[in-house]
Amino acid sequence: MSTETEPATVAAEEVTPHREPVLRTVVRNPTVVTFAVLVVIILGFTVAEPSLFFQGDNFLQIAQNVAILTVVSVGTTFVIITAGVDLSIPAGIVLGEVFSVKALAMVGGLDADADATNAGYILAALAGGVLAGLVIGGINGLVVAYLRVPPLLATLGTLGAGLGMALVLQKGVNTATYALDPVGHGHLVPGVPNLIWIGLIAVVAGFVLLHMAVFGRHTYAIGSNPESARRAGINVERHLLKVYLIGGLTSGIAGFLSVSYFSTTSIGGHSTDNLQAITAVALGGTSLFGGIGSIIGTLIGVWIPAILNNGLVITGVQPYWQQVAVGFVLIAAVWFDQLRRRSRDRF
Amino acid sequence: MRDRRRVVGSAVLAVGLMLTTACGGDDSGSSGSSGGGGLAGKKFVLMQGVKGDPFYISMECGAKEKAKELGVDLQVQGPDKFDATLQNPLLDAVAASKPAALLVAPNDVKASAAPLKRIQERGTKVVLVDTTVDDPSIGVSRIATDNNLGGQKAAEALNTLLGGAKGKVLVVSVDPGISSTDARVAGFNEAVKTKYTNFTLASDTQYSHNSPQTAASVIQAELRRNPDLVGVFATNLFTAQGVATGIRAAGKSNQVKVVGFDAGPDQIKQLQAGDVQALVAQKPYDIGVQGVEQAANAVEGKPVTAKIDTESLIVTKDNLNDPEVSKYIYKDSC
Repeated sequence: MSTETEPATVAAEEVTPHREPVLRTVVRNPTVVTFAVLVVIILGFTVAEPSLFFQGDNFLQIAQNVAILTVVSVGTTFVIITAGVDLSIPAGIVLGEVFSVKALAMVGGLDADADATNAGYILAALAGGVLAGLVIGGINGLVVAYLRVPPLLATLGTLGAGLGMALVLQKGVNTATYALDPVGHGHLVPGVPNLIWIGLIAVVAGFVLLHMAVFGRHTYAIGSNPESARRAGINVERHLLKVYLIGGLTSGIAGFLSVSYFSTTSIGGHSTDNLQAITAVALGGTSLFGGIGSIIGTLIGVWIPAILNNGLVITGVQPYWQQVAVGFVLIAAVWFDQLRRRSRDRF
Repeated sequence: MRDRRRVVGSAVLAVGLMLTTACGGDDSGSSGSSGGGGLAGKKFVLMQGVKGDPFYISMECGAKEKAKELGVDLQVQGPDKFDATLQNPLLDAVAASKPAALLVAPNDVKASAAPLKRIQERGTKVVLVDTTVDDPSIGVSRIATDNNLGGQKAAEALNTLLGGAKGKVLVVSVDPGISSTDARVAGFNEAVKTKYTNFTLASDTQYSHNSPQTAASVIQAELRRNPDLVGVFATNLFTAQGVATGIRAAGKSNQVKVVGFDAGPDQIKQLQAGDVQALVAQKPYDIGVQGVEQAANAVEGKPVTAKIDTESLIVTKDNLNDPEVSKYIYKDSC
């Protein structure tokens, strides 16, 4: 396997058909339809309950609630663009939570309440979450890229192993802490919860890495056709490892954020977070077969189920219908996107 | 090159599988049943609903205490998850060791019935603790919390917290179709309709799917629709966690009181931090004590009470240190 960097860069540009200015790429993005779906849903609820639904603080609350899922979904976008999948997200999140509280305990900050906490405690907990994420992501990457186990099974394995490990480390019991309150409930900018900024940072970082850096072009190239990417001189294995590391990293950070927001680990929870993230990425127009996708699409994909749930509660729809609605919108949105792509391909 | 990787990979997998089976084999560890008269030295087994849960650990503590008193040899087992496919193999292993009595919290009302029936037919006396099975022929005694009454207690707790004031209240439960939480919800709704008529239900029961995130977003949306909400009954831990977080993020902590269910270390921490203002605690310790008692009666051929409903009690910050209350807080270890 060649590791010379010169030809790799040149080759990658050959893989992407033609480079366009960033702005035009965004406008031509395969997420326009999904965005329209989101707008229609928002309009619908606004007409139904204008005084309750279409309010700035309602959107701020939704943004705060989806921030953690947003961080995870950014990582998942990279994984899915390589035609992979990461089912181990709940394990990454739960281990991230566990490592965060373990790190907090190590520096003696576990029982510090919101007033007595300090930046050192918070950084220690963050480091714990990051470490957990890198471990899970690293194992996923090594197994998928080098042992060539299909990602579905590899990450299914680490899902079970990681959740089990969390139970072992915690002896089956959750740990509560209020030391991370400044992250989960603080407002550095008055009126805008910190979690929203963290979600935004993840989106911007993901956007830059995917759409404006060589790293992103290699990711698309591998997702479209790993063999031609390899022939073009990309070190496919090493790149896949990095992609799964990003996926693990975002899960681990999400674990840290989850402890911050909910003030406790939830070792039995998060079981559907992987499906929620995959739903968001798919809604956002990222192809599960790889090679196509965008961060902005994922951001919209995170918001559609969140808006639906919020709006259906506000309009007083019977709770059982919420799941039904989200399911159908997922199918409809992906179908519209397919239609649009097929019609484009004809020309 | 690639082939060698594959070989290494499958070797790792094979070793892993061997380890797993080897560990699984340990579970059937049987200590030969000793004869002896009366109860002394008789083997009892407590099969928990899930390992490591403070509720079941407290039940274990009660059962062990009673077993010690009676001179019974009590062994404790439990699956890693609340899942009949994990519990049933353990039950079969227990059956092979032919204990005199089995106290069991079955994981599924239907799927757990077959192995329990087999155990019962081999002469082991079966006592169902906490959860049950549909088949009424299984178990000489069934001991569980009256969850309906627990729900009524939750309404009582909210009423006390709010000083009998009028207002809208809401129930956020886990998922529809879980017998214990459904009974809690029914009890709460009944109490609101008959006894605490100062309350009105703000909407149908909402569900968190046991996810704090969902609970948080649901309660925030409800607070938009019902800004004058005064109380929430959250029927389990994660739901209460999410509800409390959502209320806090919406800046309504002072206005909305939250009543949670169960009194494990996590819930007590929530109570002390002020996220939750009251808890309805079950009495798993008592269930364990009475379970062993009934099992012993059955083994000795004495009369057995077929159904025992244990009560629950209200825990608040104020009565938390009262020894009569604190003894019912669930334990991490005995």
